[in-house]
Amino acid sequence: MIGLRKSIFAMLAPGLGLIAVFILVPIALTVWLAFTKWSVQTPFSSATFIGLDNFREIFGSTSVGRDFKGAMINTALYSVLSIVLILPLSVVFGMLIHQAELKGANLLRTILFATYMVPMIAVALVFSKLYSPTEGPFNQILSWVGIGPQPWLSSPDTALVSIVLLNVWQQVGYFTILIIAGLTQIPTSIYEAARMDGARGPALFGYMTLPLLRRTLLFSAVIALINAVQVFEPVALITQGGPVGSTNVMTYHIRRVGIERAQGGLGSAMSVTLLLALVITVTAVFAFARREDRR
Amino acid sequence: MTIRPLMGLFLGSAMAAFSSVAWAEDVTVSFLTHWPPETVAKLEAAAATYAKDHPGVKVEVRAVPFGDLLTTLRSQAGQAGGPTIAGIYDLWLPELARDKLVNAAPDANATDVKTNWPNGVATAASVGGTVYGYPNEIDVYALNYNKKLFEEAGIKEAPKTWDEFVAAAEKLTNKDKGQQGFGMINSWAAGVVHPFASLLASNGGALVVDGKPQLDSENAKETFALYEKLIQSGASVATMGTADANTTGPFLDNFVSGKTGMIIMANWWESALKAGMGDRFADVATAPIPVGPKGDGPHSISYSWMTVVSDGASDAEKKAAWDFLAWFNGPTSGENGASAMGDLLQSMGILPSRTSDVAAFADRLKTPFLSGYVDVLSEARPFPTVLGGQEFTESLQAQIEALQFGKTTAAEAAAAAQADAVSILEKAAQ
Repeated sequence: MIGLRKSIFAMLAPGLGLIAVFILVPIALTVWLAFTKWSVQTPFSSATFIGLDNFREIFGSTSVGRDFKGAMINTALYSVLSIVLILPLSVVFGMLIHQAELKGANLLRTILFATYMVPMIAVALVFSKLYSPTEGPFNQILSWVGIGPQPWLSSPDTALVSIVLLNVWQQVGYFTILIIAGLTQIPTSIYEAARMDGARGPALFGYMTLPLLRRTLLFSAVIALINAVQVFEPVALITQGGPVGSTNVMTYHIRRVGIERAQGGLGSAMSVTLLLALVITVTAVFAFARREDRR
Repeated sequence: MTIRPLMGLFLGSAMAAFSSVAWAEDVTVSFLTHWPPETVAKLEAAAATYAKDHPGVKVEVRAVPFGDLLTTLRSQAGQAGGPTIAGIYDLWLPELARDKLVNAAPDANATDVKTNWPNGVATAASVGGTVYGYPNEIDVYALNYNKKLFEEAGIKEAPKTWDEFVAAAEKLTNKDKGQQGFGMINSWAAGVVHPFASLLASNGGALVVDGKPQLDSENAKETFALYEKLIQSGASVATMGTADANTTGPFLDNFVSGKTGMIIMANWWESALKAGMGDRFADVATAPIPVGPKGDGPHSISYSWMTVVSDGASDAEKKAAWDFLAWFNGPTSGENGASAMGDLLQSMGILPSRTSDVAAFADRLKTPFLSGYVDVLSEARPFPTVLGGQEFTESLQAQIEALQFGKTTAAEAAAAAQADAVSILEKAAQ
């Protein structure tokens, strides 16, 4: 028995060791740095322990706290808007493509997924021009239907939504593929039985398809949430957090504080807070889903 | 002839002679810059020229966008494989020196800088009296205006006072044409703060005095109020002023396409304006910053850039880097007594700072566009280089942008900017 345990440990050790070195150690290091004053330009040995000061500061009333809380709100808004738009759209596209009789379904699937494969740098460059207030095609198209020019990325009221739309455009194809995968898992016999019971159209969708897609939707929502929280490139490439901090999301703000301003301790405290917020949100989503399952 | 130019000549020759000594071992020096591709090509050509006399030394150029320069520097400086030489904005020097990321210039190079550059510029390249690099470009702000739009609006000459400035901005505004009188930048920290600081300096004020922020002074409050007035009257439209990570975007587009009558911008934009406007660049004129009610004359903000050497580089790399910089910034590397750095800066419309370069490019600096900048240089105020300077700038940017977009009033912006600045500078000084 002891020999078996030893061999199990020996077999697990390389994998666990790698996880420890490349995942657990960086996380532990970040947590430790969150309680220190440390310039990222200096060795770890120069970090000095300051207790909860960094956390007090990021939740305080100074510009540090204000900017951090603003970035948290922006990230939450970005995440919610992204999920609210991506999931219904991907279900619609997934249902359309999943219909066997739809001609060109494969082509549509390829086109939708292609947007996910385009590098963000290219997407950001193109969208920054599409959104251009004076020469951008979006405003030109709107003018054809009598809608005046929109400021898009140039106004604090619309910049974040504009970045969300860019994200939706890029991600919806990926989530459509996930939804299609979920739809293929639903046995056709269930639909046949439901039809025999008289279920049609919206009722079939609402009482059969959606409930049976719940696990896929839950997984998609969690992945969409994690992706949304990690948004960085479009902000760094197009808006730099502006105007008036309206697109200053957490990852960009942590980079600005931790790297540009070299305030490694503060940046680590922000990273730890973001991680905790994400863990709590995802756990809450799963707990909610589990409770629904029990019902 | 005083001893100073003679000493400079001697040092320049000595450094040049020293630089032609062959290196015993192969050394690769990497040079991090934010310059555009065409300028990088010129730097690579200069490095190739240097390599002819220094077969053991290879200078390798690494270019990143301006928005990524500081991040790249912070994350790579001092690391194995990090850049040996980096071009930096002088505002960043105090923190890089505090964290021992930049190498103090060897005595010969430090004397070279102190002898051949104006005192103020050499001081900006130093911390606590220690020289940390070779100053190169100097940038100063001035009022740029579109002469054609001025003519159309019946404005005879550039505004000299704030009253004339507001009146001109209102006359230049034409909502039907989507035309604004004065363009304010947003989403780019220095682009937002430097024009504001120039107007403040021309109203007799300053951002920081003796390490203490002065954003709640009457001079500053009036400057915030000027912004508020321009926004509320519609003479400046905030949504027309967005800049992107490459410092281009709608702000530049609107000026080059004739939808903005006036901007306050630095001389280094000459190449961007020429590229965007072509022949219409002739419509752009330069004038001093309009003077506010408390001002004693036009004063703009100046700042400089410099090249530093990584303290984490090997001794051989540091030696080669300082030698290359001495040659590159010296009077024998360029044309007609100019330095190769001076040639390169001039190709972008940037004012060189080395005394002999200014003399070598005297004719070039007389163009209508650049002469307007050269004229205001002597009265310019250097942007404060203090610990926490980057955070201070970004904090002020946030308040100015909030004012531009009507999210706060001038009085609230001044009070909040001052409170933030006090907190930031005190914390940084600890």
